[in-house]
Amino acid sequence: MTDRRLRLAVGVLSAAGAAVAGYLVYARYTDTTLACATGGCETVQRSDYALIAGIPVAVLGLGAYLVLLATAFSTSEIARVVGAVVAGSGTLFAAYLLYAQIVVIDAVCQWCVASDVLIFLLAVTCVLRLRSG
Amino acid sequence: MSRRTYAAVGTIALIVAVALIAASLIGARGGGPAAQAEQLSVNDASTLLRGIPQSGPSLGRPTAPVTLVEFADPQCPYCAQWSQQAFPELVRDYVRPGKVRVVFAGLAFIGPDSDEALRFAFAAGRQGKLWEVVDLLYANQGAENSDWVSEDFLREVGDAVPGLDVERALRETSSPEVESELAAAKDLQARLGVDSTPAFAAARKGGKLSPVQITSLDAGGIRPSLDGLLAR
Repeated sequence: MTDRRLRLAVGVLSAAGAAVAGYLVYARYTDTTLACATGGCETVQRSDYALIAGIPVAVLGLGAYLVLLATAFSTSEIARVVGAVVAGSGTLFAAYLLYAQIVVIDAVCQWCVASDVLIFLLAVTCVLRLRSG
Repeated sequence: MSRRTYAAVGTIALIVAVALIAASLIGARGGGPAAQAEQLSVNDASTLLRGIPQSGPSLGRPTAPVTLVEFADPQCPYCAQWSQQAFPELVRDYVRPGKVRVVFAGLAFIGPDSDEALRFAFAAGRQGKLWEVVDLLYANQGAENSDWVSEDFLREVGDAVPGLDVERALRETSSPEVESELAAAKDLQARLGVDSTPAFAAARKGGKLSPVQITSLDAGGIRPSLDGLLAR
């Protein structure tokens, strides 16, 4: 696959991820109840796992997706490396959070799962970008 | 791209992920403010009360034609029962449509835990969150005077209330405003001769409060009195 197509994929996936994370950030700071088909969104968002050192995980996620979105606009090697590091670490952390939801919190947030899928696809795409360079 | 670059990317991603997971685990297990929040029994008060005006101990539109005062002790099991069985229906049918305004008159009849809980509830009331806190206190009520209302417990309760500045609420538990709310509830209790909880008094807007007898701890126990006042 060409780098152009991969950049397009990174752009679309990271924009979708930013929308999901942005919604969670918005809900958190405006006390809006999350639309939630799985029923566990509020429980997950109120749990300890929704914060890292006082910073909402959704804010960190939003930041990560915006960085990934920015890498989609560059063909440089540094952009490909940064993209792979951010998406790779994001995927590992997302796997840990998914484990926490299922095993520890005993509630699943559909928005977090959607973000997990997006960050995983981004990791694959970003690694492919590394290879294409 | 070289094999070394791949190795470097993988290593850095792993280090970042491990650091994030470690920070998360420290927050979750280190007795942080919300360490046990997920173990709290959380009613859906935030959803029930969303959009309804709150000012101090008052819930509902200031223009509501009827005011209902609830005398309650956070340690009283019947108050908890009333809160769980009658309150949601009362909110849905009377408070949200603007017919009734409910005022919480917290009394520390049972002991020191009641006082601690009430102070926190009234302090949360300064941020428009008294009713969410009261609901959580009832939902997680401990054995009478067993020191269940610790500061850690109040932090957990506060953390489960979206939008509440917990540290500010804890700081304000001894503020003159909270003392004044406690005193006002006590004065009203003495004036109306309330000697048990839950107890209720109601009036048409601008009228004189009169005791309301409830016939049961569900909403049906108070509906006839409210409907009667609204019909006047």
